[in-house]
Amino acid sequence: MGLYILKRLLAMIPTLLGVAVLIFVLLRVVPGDVVEARFLTQGSQFQSQELMDIERKKLGLDQPLWQQFTTWMGGVLRLDFGLSMWTGSPITQEIKLRFALSLQLALMASLIAQLLAIPLGILAALKQDTWVDYAIRVFSIAGLATPSFWLGILMILTMLIVFKWVPPMVFTPLWVDPWQNLQQLIWPALAVGYRYSAVGTRMMRSAMLEVLREDYIRTARAKGLWLKLILARHALKNAILPVLTVMSLEFAFLLGGLVVTEQVFNLNGLGMLFVEAIAHRDYTLTQALVMLVATFFLFVNFFVDIAYAWIDPRIRYR
Amino acid sequence: MPGSTPASATVELVRAERPRWLSAVGDFVRRRPLGAIGAAIILVMVVLAASANWIAPYDPLETDYAAMIAAPNAAHWLGTDAFGRDVLSRIIYGSRTALLVGLGAATLGATFGSLIGVASAYFGGRVDLIVQRIMDVFFAFPVIILALAVVAVLGTGAENVILAIATPMVPRCARVVRASALAVREMPYVDAARASGFRHGRIILRHMLPNVMAPILIMATAFLGEAILLEASLSFLGLGVQEPTAAWGLMLRGAAVEFAETAPWMAIFPGLAISLAVFGFNLFGDSLRDALDPRLRTQ
Repeated sequence: MGLYILKRLLAMIPTLLGVAVLIFVLLRVVPGDVVEARFLTQGSQFQSQELMDIERKKLGLDQPLWQQFTTWMGGVLRLDFGLSMWTGSPITQEIKLRFALSLQLALMASLIAQLLAIPLGILAALKQDTWVDYAIRVFSIAGLATPSFWLGILMILTMLIVFKWVPPMVFTPLWVDPWQNLQQLIWPALAVGYRYSAVGTRMMRSAMLEVLREDYIRTARAKGLWLKLILARHALKNAILPVLTVMSLEFAFLLGGLVVTEQVFNLNGLGMLFVEAIAHRDYTLTQALVMLVATFFLFVNFFVDIAYAWIDPRIRYR
Repeated sequence: MPGSTPASATVELVRAERPRWLSAVGDFVRRRPLGAIGAAIILVMVVLAASANWIAPYDPLETDYAAMIAAPNAAHWLGTDAFGRDVLSRIIYGSRTALLVGLGAATLGATFGSLIGVASAYFGGRVDLIVQRIMDVFFAFPVIILALAVVAVLGTGAENVILAIATPMVPRCARVVRASALAVREMPYVDAARASGFRHGRIILRHMLPNVMAPILIMATAFLGEAILLEASLSFLGLGVQEPTAAWGLMLRGAAVEFAETAPWMAIFPGLAISLAVFGFNLFGDSLRDALDPRLRTQ
């Protein structure tokens, strides 16, 4: 097991290196750079080739590409992501508050998704091919089909009309005012959570159907065991593994993938920051964000695999 | 049909007289009602897109400043937007954009993904390992972030959006198809083809690819709905199809949110169109998966 963990950790290095190379190259292929983008906002009268060259030199953009890459990688190894090319402030500072927001939103949305998915999935499996099953399936497929940003627009609209509630302009962190914070995040969390619950519900249903056909369930039933006990002790334990996997992977993607929902609810999360960073051609910030999201994803993946071996004794890793 | 009642025997007779495709459709509707509903929604969408020129009451680009932000009325059934354009006509024409981008991206993503997946399984060994590592890199990006990065490189517009949406689909399709292709590679007929001295390309395209068509079709239909959603998201961010093209995501942008309180029709109907279209594709895709996947058939 120890060796397996070590192997898995080492296997992340080439993937992360690949991510780093990919985003580094992609950004340099994008037409224009941060200096041009900045001069554009200031108006053309300041734009001169010399001034732009001086700015580029300041940011290290005049160096050959391999040197820019090794400088960046050297910083990443020391966990120093440098300064944002657009604002000039340290990247860790730029990301910190937005990371807290995105992580909280992702956690809340996942929690809502699981609270919906697990009971609904079990119910659909138990009532297979009845109207209950059909209703749950339609509900979950509708969840997959509804864009969460549109659901968000509808929610805001409803609250505007019914409660005269307007989404606040400024985000309140959890540690400043928990009540205000939850009020702000519950709606986007619901909009996103409903969509992600759909994935889980369908998974839970099919996993449960598979497990209910196993011999040990038949044995337990033949023994005359109470149905609720069979479900809780025998069926759920086995059926929930794939559901947790799928939902954890979705959770990992929620961290940086809520670009549009954040836009609708006026939240300054990692997704919005990413869009801004790309628009500004802010190489350092975009690179840092991509590395953060990719690392987070790989680690969630890793923990899921480890948890598998720990929960299910049939799985042993070499 | 032994032991059948006379009534059902007549049904059998009547069915035998119908053309074969019709009874196949009838079978599908009876066995998979949800899938049939999905197919019906897709059919309506295709008809709308194909006959938009005749069906749409107005030109989707025609601005009418006398009728800006008009509520639904007899002249404009679903109201007008901030430029006085007819919302219903824009939704009808928008189905073209959605179908074009959805079909384009799903076909492109599934084609490249399955070719990579089959080739990776066929060659095996080091090639397989390297290809899988490269796919892992793409996997570590959230779908929308990867699509946004591609749009940043290529620029906006329908063709680029298709490429941007197809990109994150390639590795996912490759992974699933590779898993099926690994089993196909062990089949005697692949050995026979190899022994006959056929070229790699021919074995991959003629012998292996047709035998993994089921997972490819399942992936492609699943992608279709997702591609439509992704196109709407990109257009909503202003990074997809550009104004004044009629596209559902674009219709939800800007004025639709600003005036949501006073003019909710601008935000409600295009979103409804997106949801309904994706819903249709998902229902159909689900039934297709149930029908094609032998493991799920008993369930």
